[in-house]
Amino acid sequence: MLLLDYQNVLIQSLLTERFSGAPPASIDQVVSDFDGVTFHLSTPESKTKILVSIHVKCFKELVQYGAQAVLEREYGPYIVSPEPGYDFSVQIDLENLPAEQEAREELIMKLALLKRNAMAAPFERAFDEFAELAEEASRYTSESAPQGVKEGGEVMSIHYREEEAIYIKASHDRVTVIFSTVFREETDRIFGKVFLQEFVDARRRVVTLQNAPQVLFRNTPPLELEGVPGVENASEGEMSYVTFVLFPRHLTPQRRYDSISHIQTFRDYFHYHIKASKAYIHTRMRKRTADFLQVLNRARPENEERERKTASGRTFRVQS
Amino acid sequence: MSQSLRPYLQAVRSSLTAALALSNFASQTSERHNVPEIEAASSPELLLNPLTISRNDTERVLIEPSVNSVRISLKVKQADEIEHILVHKFTRFLTQRAESFFILRRKPIEGYDISFLVTNYHTEALLKHKLVDFILQFMEEVDKEISEMKLFLNARARFVAESFLTPFD
Repeated sequence: MLLLDYQNVLIQSLLTERFSGAPPASIDQVVSDFDGVTFHLSTPESKTKILVSIHVKCFKELVQYGAQAVLEREYGPYIVSPEPGYDFSVQIDLENLPAEQEAREELIMKLALLKRNAMAAPFERAFDEFAELAEEASRYTSESAPQGVKEGGEVMSIHYREEEAIYIKASHDRVTVIFSTVFREETDRIFGKVFLQEFVDARRRVVTLQNAPQVLFRNTPPLELEGVPGVENASEGEMSYVTFVLFPRHLTPQRRYDSISHIQTFRDYFHYHIKASKAYIHTRMRKRTADFLQVLNRARPENEERERKTASGRTFRVQS
Repeated sequence: MSQSLRPYLQAVRSSLTAALALSNFASQTSERHNVPEIEAASSPELLLNPLTISRNDTERVLIEPSVNSVRISLKVKQADEIEHILVHKFTRFLTQRAESFFILRRKPIEGYDISFLVTNYHTEALLKHKLVDFILQFMEEVDKEISEMKLFLNARARFVAESFLTPFD
């Protein structure tokens, strides 16, 4: 498992089981996902009506960037008023499922992608904005372009974790996505640096990745974020800013769905692999330490005097 | 083994063999005590001349002999940040297991990464030449291990980055 899945596997398996025609049972399960997102699956009214609720830390910001519209588009008929303590709820009636197996699976997948869809709103908005700006810009030559077109749209910030945020900015020829990420530990910081350097270099090194988004990273806020509230100019060195530059070819209507899903998993993917490397190095050190111990134990002389017995089974004891 | 490593290890081996001539020696300052004199440093006549063997400015061995104990400290090569953190992690890993590595000092002395303390009890109970072998093997393998871990980390990072960027294509 190298790449992370976009959907929540627990929700997927729970619903697959429920949808498979098993006798209705009551559910009450809280499911956690990355970035502090929690889901609540329950059957408050009857066993056949499953309520799926999601809590996202930055839901207010997402609504501001049009999350409600995206969610309505995706879950239209299933939406119910949000459960207290959660931000968004959908309800599925097991007696009212689509008849075909394929449609059911599609519905399950859609529900498992609840987090992805909630977070997708600002990305979609930026991609739309890009399309508008691109069209506007095509009417001007580069010299006569008015200031607004050159500068691109506003920076959208999503504070999806305690101290970390995603910033998205659309321009007429690209969409810039900036992740800010914190390293709590010195080791993480150095490992992170090694990984990020490879992200930066990958595009240059591998011929097949020529078309991938450009990746940049730095420890100070990039120029795009100048004047954005909440971006402190802290020089503690704990913060890293990773910039992805998405080019028009990633923003085409056919590609945008996958691009959005994939870029959302970046932070979790990145941190997951740092942790995995640390774990591997730890086991490796453990093994090496055991080897050293073996070498050291060779220094013990093999003088172990075994108990000597006579043929009849009697033993000698040394008189001290 | 590289050209400069062999004479370095040979020098360490001969010096260690010579330094590990230890005898039981009771403390001169307190009755019925018997402590490693190199640590106690209670009187100067019990300490012998310390010796540093350097391969280059980042790798060296310090051997401090005394009448009943020898302290051996190693400085491992650390070319960059990653090697530094790996050496730090690895030596910490070892010192936390000092109980089973009976000759390992729990804390390295200042300026070195890892220290060993061999007392006359160790040389009495263990084979001296095998102890020297252990330290030599340790010096050889630590370098190898650190560079292998570094290579692994870079390879993994590269692979991870490429796999993340491939779906965009």
